[in-house]
Order: sequence, then C-alpha cells, then structure tokens
Amino acid sequence: MNNDHHETFQHMIDESLAAGLSAERAQSLREHLHNCAPCREYLSANQRVIAGLGGFSFEVNPTLNARVLASLRLRAQQAQSAQLSRRRWALIGVAALGLTAGGSFVDLQLGRMIASIFDMQRIEVQQGLLAFWILPSLCVLLLFPLLPLLSKAGTPREERIQ
Amino acid sequence: MSDTQQIAIGLRQREVIVLEALVERYQYRLARYLIYLLGKRDGVDDLVQETWLRVLERGSSYDGQSRFEPWLFRVARNIAVDALRKRRIFSLDSKDDDGVRPAPASDEPSPFTLAARTNDADRLARSLETLEPVYREALVLRFQEDLSLQEISAIVGAPVSTVASRIYRGLATLRPQFKGETS
Repeated sequence: MNNDHHETFQHMIDESLAAGLSAERAQSLREHLHNCAPCREYLSANQRVIAGLGGFSFEVNPTLNARVLASLRLRAQQAQSAQLSRRRWALIGVAALGLTAGGSFVDLQLGRMIASIFDMQRIEVQQGLLAFWILPSLCVLLLFPLLPLLSKAGTPREERIQ
Repeated sequence: MSDTQQIAIGLRQREVIVLEALVERYQYRLARYLIYLLGKRDGVDDLVQETWLRVLERGSSYDGQSRFEPWLFRVARNIAVDALRKRRIFSLDSKDDDGVRPAPASDEPSPFTLAARTNDADRLARSLETLEPVYREALVLRFQEDLSLQEISAIVGAPVSTVASRIYRGLATLRPQFKGETS
C-alpha cells in the first residue's frame, strides 16, 4: 500500500474526528482500518490526544464566583437606578409640556371668563397666568434636556466595581 | 419554551437570577476556555468577571435561537483579544508554520502541567504550552466543549475550513506524544 493511500485515509480520520464523515466514507474508512495497522495506530494516537485533553482539571479561584456575582448585582442595580432616573426625567418632561399647553389653553379659552368672575382686567389675568403658570412650566420644558446632567453633577460618583 | 429562549428573555430583562444560574453553570468552562486561549492562569479571573459584566450589558443581543455557549465564548474571546491588544502581550494570530511557539522563559509550571490529572494529560501538558493559542482554542472548543465547526467558526471569526485545519494541525502537533503506542 503506498503512502498516498495512507495519507488519504489519515486525512479521513482527521475529518471524522473534527466534523464527521458521510455514511459511505465512514464505511470505506472502517474497511481500510480493518486491514491497515499504521492507520489504526494513527487513529489510536489521535484518540489518545482527545482523551488526554479531558484529563485536565483546572482549579478555579474559590472566591471568583462570589466576586462575579457581587459585581453583577451591583452593575444590575446601577443600571436599574439609571433606568428609573431616566423614567423620572421623562415624566417631568411630559408634565411640563402638559402644564405649558394647559396654561396656554386656559389663557386663550377661559381668560375672559376668569377676568369677569374675579372682576379683573383681561390683561391682568393673562399676566398672572404667564408669571405663575405658563412661564415656569415653559422654563422646565426648555431646561428639560439639561436637568439630568445638572442632577448627575450633584450626586456622588458611582462606586467602582472591583 | 426552550432553555435558550428562557436565557434570552432573562438576559433581555437583565434578570440577575438568570445570570446567577448561568455563572454557576458556565464558570468553569469559561475559565478553562480562557486558560486554553491565553496559555496562562494570570488575568483569567479578571477576564471571566469582565465577560459576565459584558453579558449583563449586551445580553439583549443573544437571540436564543442558537446555543448559549458559542455566544458566551465569543464575548469572552473579544474581551480577551482587547485585553491582549491593550497590554501588547502577544497576538492570537499564528505566525509559525509548525503551529508551535517557543516555551515561555518562566520557571513556573504552566497551567496545563498543574491541571494534568492523568498520565496522558501530563504528557500533553508541555506540548500544549508551546502550541499556538489558535490551535489550542480550536482543540478545546471541538473536543472539550463539543462545538461544531460552524459554531467554532462563528466564535473565532474564521472560515470553517480554517477551523478544521487548526484542529488537524493541533492534533498533528500533539500526536507524536502517543506515536507507536496503542490505546
């Protein structure tokens, strides 16, 4: 039997271990192995390598699990508070928008009626609404994108995960 | 609902209880993969921790359609490669034609020597130490993690044919330890 022939079957052995062979090629390999001692030896050496790889047992630092779990819990907690904070700022923004729209609606639609009820000038009602309702809520709305940044600047830095 | 889908949902919702179960289940395998990849024990704990934190942060990218292990090992590999680049220790890319690199100068026993529990493992330990990381990686993923060539290909970002050659070359380098013997 020439060397090329062995090489072909030894490559098939490699293939069978790495990815498997079709039924037909596996049968052909089996038949060859039955009659070929060098290829059987080749297969046996490969199988010893693979079995040998299973003979390692690495020691894992016993405190690693606890360390990992603690850092995961801390990071998850930080992420949750960040999410809550984002939700809180979103609610404030929506409330400011609603108040600005509401104040403008009251001014335009009910300003005259309020003036007559309280025996006031229309302009006085308008100024009151602007000063105590519309402008404050408009300011919150306009400053809204900056509020989370201002809030973060005032809080202590997050604890560093070890 | 399958196990992988449950994992995917848990990761999307950042459920710590799901992560705790995953840590318990995969911690040893993750550490072993990183030891094979780096060929040393130092720094592996930090990379393991960093991997789990990345799983927490980017867990929503796991779709639950395929097995969890390849996804986890890909995350770990990316972190390890980044760490190696930052520290400029060495590249994972193979440079030597024979797939073997010079043995480290340190007198300390390699993690493989320390972890060998059988005679055959003991014989392989020295060769594993000098084997190129990409070959060691291919061997551990195929024969210890039982991943398919396609799964390994997705982890290492190389074609299936390259992964297969790495496995053949890895086996070829270790095989002489048992040449002329029958099991």
